[in-house]
Amino acid sequence: MTLVMVVDDDQDLAEMLGIVLTGAGIDVDLVSRGDEVMDIFRSNPPDLVLLDVMLPGLDGVEVCKLIRAESMVPIVMLSAKGDIQDIVAGLEAGADDYMVKPFKHPSELIARIRTRLRRTNADVKGTLSIGDLVIDVTAHEIRRGAKVISLTRLEFDLLVALAKEPGRVFTRDALLSEVWGYRHTTDTRLVNVHVQRLRSKIEHDAENPSIVMTVRGVGYKAGVVGTA
Amino acid sequence: MNWQSKSLARSLATKVILSTVALSLVVVWLTGSALYSQLSDGIKKVNLESSLSDARLSFYEARYQFLLIDGASQEEVKKVVNDVITTSITVGVTENIRELILVKVLNNGEAGQEINQPNYTFASNDLLSDTIPTRLRTNLTQSTDLSYDFAPLTYRDGTEIEALYVGQRVTIPASGKYDMFLVYTLSNQGATLELVQNSLYFTGLVLLFLIALITWLVVRQVVRPVRDAARVATQFTMGDFSQRLKVVGNDEISTLGTAFNEMAHSIEAQIGRLENLSKVQQRFVSDVSHELRTPLTTLRMASDVIYSQRADFDPIIARSAELLIAQIDRFEKLLQELLEVSRFDAEVAVLEPTDFEFVALIRRCVADFGVVLESADSQIKLLAPDSPVHIRADFRRVERIVRNLLANALDYSDGKVIEIECVETRTEVAVSVRDHGVGMEAESLTRVFDRFWRADPSRARTRGGTGLGLSIALEDVRLHNGELDAWGAPGDGANFVLTLPRIAGNEIAGRPLPVNPHKCSEITREKI
Repeated sequence: MTLVMVVDDDQDLAEMLGIVLTGAGIDVDLVSRGDEVMDIFRSNPPDLVLLDVMLPGLDGVEVCKLIRAESMVPIVMLSAKGDIQDIVAGLEAGADDYMVKPFKHPSELIARIRTRLRRTNADVKGTLSIGDLVIDVTAHEIRRGAKVISLTRLEFDLLVALAKEPGRVFTRDALLSEVWGYRHTTDTRLVNVHVQRLRSKIEHDAENPSIVMTVRGVGYKAGVVGTA
Repeated sequence: MNWQSKSLARSLATKVILSTVALSLVVVWLTGSALYSQLSDGIKKVNLESSLSDARLSFYEARYQFLLIDGASQEEVKKVVNDVITTSITVGVTENIRELILVKVLNNGEAGQEINQPNYTFASNDLLSDTIPTRLRTNLTQSTDLSYDFAPLTYRDGTEIEALYVGQRVTIPASGKYDMFLVYTLSNQGATLELVQNSLYFTGLVLLFLIALITWLVVRQVVRPVRDAARVATQFTMGDFSQRLKVVGNDEISTLGTAFNEMAHSIEAQIGRLENLSKVQQRFVSDVSHELRTPLTTLRMASDVIYSQRADFDPIIARSAELLIAQIDRFEKLLQELLEVSRFDAEVAVLEPTDFEFVALIRRCVADFGVVLESADSQIKLLAPDSPVHIRADFRRVERIVRNLLANALDYSDGKVIEIECVETRTEVAVSVRDHGVGMEAESLTRVFDRFWRADPSRARTRGGTGLGLSIALEDVRLHNGELDAWGAPGDGANFVLTLPRIAGNEIAGRPLPVNPHKCSEITREKI
């Protein structure tokens, strides 16, 4: 069964999240302090972490960085602040997605969690190429020559989405719906931040990208195979 | 330095310098004129006296010569007359040019009697005798002494020159009486006077220039502190309350500076206190809104769980669950809008412009209200250009503005048709939302954008509006540098017109759509 770690200092909200997630058939591990997260994370690794920003002990953004340092597990941030800086800080710390409290519908939260847990590219098998990279979708591995590059699941999915349709220009909206599972476009910054993170890991020169190319005014597309 | 204080300082200095120069000009002119007239009088007097004594000598000499030859032969007389003429022309004490005219005086005009007498009439340089002033000739008939007069001397070639005529009657033996005139041209005197005049002009100009320069230096001393004060006051007006004047010395200017600085200090302190109060207030609203979010999330999820189970409940409890979830929706919307308002109040709202198509946005907003535009009996009609209308603006905010206008129109339309018109010009886009419902009184128009204001308090909001929608819309529009205008008439419905610059933040040149639907547009609609 799927295990989700819910980190929130508000006992009532955490319990309620537990009820809703359990109702959706997901096991829940409740943590109320930021500085307790890593111990529990290591002893009982979850499939996804639902992380509040404001936490006693250790700030949510810091916790996010710690988790990212040792795991590629999907992280969804919960924020009571809708302010841009907090969202961007969370995403830059390695969060895959975020939700602003209060959620429009609890079902939306579950939908997002499911998208992050599901293999979004289940239809793709074998290997793909993008730029000078080889993606082994089945083995969930990215190689440049003999060197293996490690990516989070979301970054992997983003790269596969671009690579499987090499000629297509993806708008940010299209990527949001394919990779993040959003039905309504709300915020395309999510895409921008993750593309930046992905580039910093796979590009030779992140300022001059040759693998994830920007199409000005439209979105992104895959770099030509064999170049770079 | 800004324009205002510059022109102030400039005009003050100019005013003082101009008036000083003007007054000095009058004084210098009067002094110069007096000086000149005294000098010229003196020069003329000296010149006249020397000319007269010269003439007196010549006349004396002539008369003496003519007396000596009384009774001599005609040849001898002629020779003496020629000698006298030559001496009179060539010998002189003054540098002025001398001319001699000798005119025979006719006895009672009876020319016939004297026809046998020799006539020694002479004029040097062939001067005409009528150049002699008649007044002088009349004087000579009455006096035996010499007479003089100033008159122009006309040569045969037409040149005219100012001259002094001195004349005396002499008698030439065996010929009769002659009027002898010595003419002294005054060209030398004129040259001297001109020199004096020019010197006076030059001195006057230099004096004026020096006075202007001195005035400028003095004025600058006074104007500079005034200019500084103006600059500081301007910066103060523009919101830099830390500006102070430099106070040097113990004069009137420094008193002004001290007074100004005290005023500035007091204003800065007052504003600081008010700013702080306002910050605390805004902070409180923001904190409250944030703090409410976590319990609201729990509430929402709990009510959602209950609501999803309502089929198993007793009808009363099931209905309560429905009401609960609806009110939580409303509560949440209110909270969101309060937060938005607190952002505007704290001036932290920022524009995030992107490029998008405007008509598609309108269509989507209409669709979100569950209205199908294409159907014939649709409550909403849309009139828009066929080609896409691209603008650069904050998508989220523009969407919110259109939604708020639509919600408002639907609330007050009484089920009658709502017309949306969208037009574009080169620099702006405009959309009007017109309903034909109850309309508004003129006094309501000024308050329609106020927070929590309702046109008719007894009227329920059918769509659960919060009362903040239009005021947030107005703030959103202002953030884009656009305009939102309202029009309404009782029984004739209302019209809201949104005008946005094509690129957010640019100035809008006008209103492509008039706010009063019964009037024509004030500017021609350009087709692009």
